[in-house]
Amino acid sequence: MSILRSTRRTLFLYRRLFGTQLKAILEYQTDFFIMIVSAVLTQLLGIVFLWVVYNRIPDINGWTFWEVVFMYAMIYLTEGFGSLFFEGTWRLGGLVNRGELDVMLLRPVSPILQVLTNGIGMNGLGNIVIGFIMIGQALTKVDLHWSFGKILIAILLILTAVAIRVSINLAANTSAFWIKNAGNAFPIMIHNLGEFAKYPITIFSMGIQLLVAVLVPFAFVSFFPAYYLFDKSTSPWIWLAPPVAAIYCGAVAYMLFRIGLRKYESAGN
Amino acid sequence: MNAWLRLPRSWRAYTGIATRSMQNTLAYRLSYVVNFASSFVLLIAMYALWNAIYAGRDELAGMSWTQMKTYLIISFISNSLLSYYSETRISGKILDGSVSADLLKPLDFQKARLAETLGSTVIEGGLTVIITFIVVLSASGILKPDFIHSLLFILSILASLLVKFGIVYIAGLLCFWSTGSLGIVWARMAVTSLFSGALVPLSFFPGWLEKLSLVLPFQGIVHTPASIYLEEVNVWGALGLLALQCVWACVLWLCGKLMWSWAVRQITIHGG
Repeated sequence: MSILRSTRRTLFLYRRLFGTQLKAILEYQTDFFIMIVSAVLTQLLGIVFLWVVYNRIPDINGWTFWEVVFMYAMIYLTEGFGSLFFEGTWRLGGLVNRGELDVMLLRPVSPILQVLTNGIGMNGLGNIVIGFIMIGQALTKVDLHWSFGKILIAILLILTAVAIRVSINLAANTSAFWIKNAGNAFPIMIHNLGEFAKYPITIFSMGIQLLVAVLVPFAFVSFFPAYYLFDKSTSPWIWLAPPVAAIYCGAVAYMLFRIGLRKYESAGN
Repeated sequence: MNAWLRLPRSWRAYTGIATRSMQNTLAYRLSYVVNFASSFVLLIAMYALWNAIYAGRDELAGMSWTQMKTYLIISFISNSLLSYYSETRISGKILDGSVSADLLKPLDFQKARLAETLGSTVIEGGLTVIITFIVVLSASGILKPDFIHSLLFILSILASLLVKFGIVYIAGLLCFWSTGSLGIVWARMAVTSLFSGALVPLSFFPGWLEKLSLVLPFQGIVHTPASIYLEEVNVWGALGLLALQCVWACVLWLCGKLMWSWAVRQITIHGG
């Protein structure tokens, strides 16, 4: 019972913290608009790239246009969820450097929850809308045999993809506890590794495949879901891999945050 | 004798700014290294992707795999010459209001920002070029142009820097009308990447899009240096392209100047 209660309390707190941030953001309407437009532009750019390339060739290593669009969209969609609902991960570095994490440690609410809700990236809204449109298009354009089970699994795969993405973001941003540099680009570097997962990872060398499938498992956000949904795999159980990866990522991110927090000493005044 | 003392008085302030910006860049070495590594990740991804695209094909849109490889490197170099850091510095000044201090200085804001950008480019760009060329020289199969084209290429890379500065500066000034820079920077990156040829060589575009890209200033950032390096144009053609880059650099500079004088009239600085 207590688990249920604490989950409900966490969700309630999340809603309240998110709501406060949302009110702050909506004060600046120009920005709100610019962020959404820029996110949409960036996404369309990726699609233009694929479109231009696929105009010249029929497939890349056996993967057709819409299959790759699906992987693209999964990366953008999860990025969108990460920005819209958990933008705070990207601000952890600033919090640590300015010593503002102190405030959060004093409140009787989980610091992770407070960090996660420490901001909203309105660009996420653009990403999510375009991401869903692209995923929808891809799944209808490719000839697939849908069953009830497969639909459920598809929903599950999207949820775990978001969980993996947010966990990787959080884990990468905990580097701020160790790299005390205002322009810490390490999280961006990890984020950029997601680029590899926009394409079928089999085109890359073994080292890169291991990197995005094991060390920083972006492949479970896009590649493995695509592998399952487009029936590329001979094993029917491949869909189990992303949820397992999500649990693994969540645990690692949580642990890194705890270890980092223990190391945290405020910016002295 | 310090060589700078012989420069006209009005120049000295700007060389001073450039030097400080250089020192600033050197002070944040680690962030440069990580930045470089993170954009190198993108280069590797693109390389492997194009490698797969070219598998079993000799040429696409008139480019061979060897030319494509070379193109990717050139595009990487010209993109890393002006870092994200110098870009956000312009908008940062506007957003946090420190631009008000610049208004009091007897310096031209635009020239000072150019000096600052060039200063950090000397360090960052220089390092990038050196590292990239070491990588390139050790990797076989990258084309090397003849002497005259190499010379013209270097000139066009310098001109591309001015074109890019013009675009970045205008985008930075847009922050007078917004409260954040991230969206503007992203939008600028997307547009630049598409029309400059950084996303994909312009010859891959359908005819209308290619024509559109060629009348816009963005092509001067990647497309022009790359076509000179790949010797797609003869010497006269290259000189023509260089002249076009310079024209665009001037036009953008003037646009930036106009925009600045207009923006400054409606500035509101909070606090103080």
